[in-house]
Amino acid sequence: MAADLKPMLDGIFEVGPPPRLLGAECPICKQKFFPKPIVCPHCLEDVKEIKLNTEGTVYSYSILRIPNKLYQFPQPYASGYVDLDNDNIRVYCLFDPEKAEEIRIGQRVTLRVGQIGIGLDGKECLRYYFTPVDGGEK
Amino acid sequence: MRDVDIIGIGMFPFGVHKTTPLVEMGVRAAIDAIKDAGVKPSQVNIGFFANMQAANLTKEFTTGQTVMWGAGINKIPVFNIENACTSGASATTLAMMSIASGQYDIALVVGAEKLNVPFIPLLNPSLRDINVLEGNVVINGFAQRAVRHMHEYGTTKEQLAMVDVKNRKHALLNPMAKFFNKPVTIEEVLNAPMMADPLTKLMCCPNSDGAAALVLCAAEISRRFTSKPIHLKASVLVSGIFDEVPDMQTFEEDQRASRIAYETAGLGPEDVSAVECHDAFTICEIMHTENLGFCPIGEGGPFVESGATSLGGKIPVNVSGGLLGKGHPLGATAVSQIVEGVIQLRGEAGARQVEGAKVFLAECMGAELRGDAKTCTVNILTV
Repeated sequence: MAADLKPMLDGIFEVGPPPRLLGAECPICKQKFFPKPIVCPHCLEDVKEIKLNTEGTVYSYSILRIPNKLYQFPQPYASGYVDLDNDNIRVYCLFDPEKAEEIRIGQRVTLRVGQIGIGLDGKECLRYYFTPVDGGEK
Repeated sequence: MRDVDIIGIGMFPFGVHKTTPLVEMGVRAAIDAIKDAGVKPSQVNIGFFANMQAANLTKEFTTGQTVMWGAGINKIPVFNIENACTSGASATTLAMMSIASGQYDIALVVGAEKLNVPFIPLLNPSLRDINVLEGNVVINGFAQRAVRHMHEYGTTKEQLAMVDVKNRKHALLNPMAKFFNKPVTIEEVLNAPMMADPLTKLMCCPNSDGAAALVLCAAEISRRFTSKPIHLKASVLVSGIFDEVPDMQTFEEDQRASRIAYETAGLGPEDVSAVECHDAFTICEIMHTENLGFCPIGEGGPFVESGATSLGGKIPVNVSGGLLGKGHPLGATAVSQIVEGVIQLRGEAGARQVEGAKVFLAECMGAELRGDAKTCTVNILTV
């Protein structure tokens, strides 16, 4: 991947390798969050940045077949929710654009980072996505 | 707190009105409502205008004052309300509170929206929202709910299609529903272009233009204006939880808002004669019938298939045609749901009259944050 590409937002993930999603944990109530909130919404205390688990299970997904030109996503593309292992976080994510048709509820997936679409500045950028752990059918 | 009645209704037909400005649609609905109520513009004490997209699409703001003055109303407090699809119901809740508190006697609520402009972008709540940056758009959230609901409860794509077939059939009986003017079959719905699996284009409500208006009045004086006041027994607005781990197969907001509304009204789902709900996508109506208490959780698919939610069924849902049949002029939608309730409870619905309707429930839901609805409203009306 091109070295000069930046994440679509700062502070959301580390590019790696290995890529990691950056979440947060409240030192008082121990709840984990993604993305990092300004403060813990329950305790109103500062939270500590943590690296989240990179593997999880697909909770639900959709395949958008109409164009989404907002950030020039591929057409079609799959997105949805993944339950991260041990973190009690259901994270919204893109799925591997090459494997949009393969995503299923309950599937084991792992984190990747790559160039998908454009960012707030209109330039190509990096996004996080999940891909089947076993490499999928392709 | 004082009881509140609805004494006037007005609508500008829902359809495609490319040459009619937003303000004109709002004004015409407002005038119809105050004439229907038999009040003079100078008797209105407070006004609420609901709209979602005027600042984006037609570059207008503080439109409420313009609309009110178009209907001869000035000087009074006017509030412009944006709460996504529930803007109109949120405005109604504020109008009810302003009267119930004793501070005002007569309130006008107007909802209006113009969506058929040359370029209609996909809606998103914020460009910086992490989920939007990761590909979420409105239809994705509901497709993910549908996928999850089908996985968990065995809901079928045919049942998803039946909701549209039913509501399009209902819309044919509503002279204010001008978008389609023709019925549709299950096969046509299933074979329509796929938008976001399993939702085809005909499982999504179209973008229509239109307006709707209500006149609310303190119950202690409503009979000065009408012999048939309709009682607004509960007007509830809640927000989502937004915490980690959203649940996609139920609408917790529906359950919470309707529980408050039922308790406030002293009624339960078994008392309700007719329902309008936020059927922006067919899966929504299936889930609303479950989460508002009309059938058990998970049985919304078989419930629509049984005919229970059709006109003449056990609990008719979206007899006006709903969003699927009328289209969804965002700020006007939730007002139009309550207008339908007043028409039904007055017994003035003609061919789409629910026989013996005595209790009406309107539900609406808007926008998404972290997998939960940002806003959810439930209004209960009685004769």
